[in-house]
Amino acid sequence: MTPLRTFALAAALAGLLAARAVAQDPRLERLDPDTRAAVAPLVDAARQAGLPAEALIDRALEGAAKGAPAPRIIAAVTTLLADLRGARAALGTAATTPELEAGASAIHLAVRSAALVRLRAVRSRQSLTIALSVMADLTARGVPADSAAAAVLALAGSLRDDEFLAFRRNVERDIELGAPPAAAAAASVRLNAGGLPTSPGTPASGMPPRRP
Amino acid sequence: MFEHDDDISNDVTARIAASLKSPVRLDPAFDARVMARVAALPAHRPAGPLDRTWSWLRRPRSFAVSPLAGLAAAAGVAAIVFFAARAPAPRTSEAAVALDRTPVEFLLVAPRASSVMLVGDFNDWTRSATPLRTIAAGGLWSVTVPLAPGRYRYAFVVDGKRWEPDPSAPPAPDDEFGSPASVVTVGGGL
Repeated sequence: MTPLRTFALAAALAGLLAARAVAQDPRLERLDPDTRAAVAPLVDAARQAGLPAEALIDRALEGAAKGAPAPRIIAAVTTLLADLRGARAALGTAATTPELEAGASAIHLAVRSAALVRLRAVRSRQSLTIALSVMADLTARGVPADSAAAAVLALAGSLRDDEFLAFRRNVERDIELGAPPAAAAAASVRLNAGGLPTSPGTPASGMPPRRP
Repeated sequence: MFEHDDDISNDVTARIAASLKSPVRLDPAFDARVMARVAALPAHRPAGPLDRTWSWLRRPRSFAVSPLAGLAAAAGVAAIVFFAARAPAPRTSEAAVALDRTPVEFLLVAPRASSVMLVGDFNDWTRSATPLRTIAAGGLWSVTVPLAPGRYRYAFVVDGKRWEPDPSAPPAPDDEFGSPASVVTVGGGL
């Protein structure tokens, strides 16, 4: 065998080893063989698509830590990959990893992609991570997805990130106090937008007026 | 016919030879112009270390490697590539993490617990990685974790077996694995 052929063979071997190593993150060894065999290609696909593969590994590890059966872990990772793809399609290729993860959470909770596109347009020069997370968190608290998206979009042009988080806490507190989730979100939007209840002294959408 | 052609050829040859033998007339200023151009040329400079190095680097060489040595070298390259690729990619770059980490305090009230662990995306869901400590009477457990910007799912494991969500944090979108989790988002603040 000539040295040239030897090098060519070794280079091919190195490429194969590298590809195999990339596909097999050592943390995936905590999964059972069947789950690992199904999840590893999904992780690899995410990497090749430029999506945050870490999120998929984290989801698989969560399932393994909780002792979930293989089909459930595989389904969760598959769904997350689809949600991340949807988030990237809506937010664009410049979206950061936290933005994609938050966007995927929102999409998973039935927020429409169009809302993400609009949010990007409204806050084109700011990170969308908190706004998207608030959108997802409100939906997880029971606010209908369209209402949560509308609430965040209504405030997206004026609120800073810390104000968005305060807005979310206000809505959560009102829900815990017994307000219907959609009404709690709408009332908080009115408050943050500087609006007043239609009838002073009368609860807006069934909510007691908030004090400044 | 052939003799006539030979006569013409001899005649042409003789004229060329005569022309070549005649002295060449040059412009009297020709020498001066040539010497002026030569004087204007940059002085010859001996090759410096950089020139010699560049020349050495550009000079083609041939070398022989035994198949065994070739395999050994290639195996070394393969090992480097393998271990470099095997290292888990951080969630964000180390530089970004160093700059952007925000301390986040996790609290849980668990008066009867003997141990509470924090598990989540930030510690690869490793149970032993992030234990909480009691910080006050009444079973208030706490731990502070520096987190880079992002959205993280997490939960508490009480006494090594019971999974608890964080009652003060938003719930994770679903409990697809049978026990609920919570979500913390680190961005412009908490």
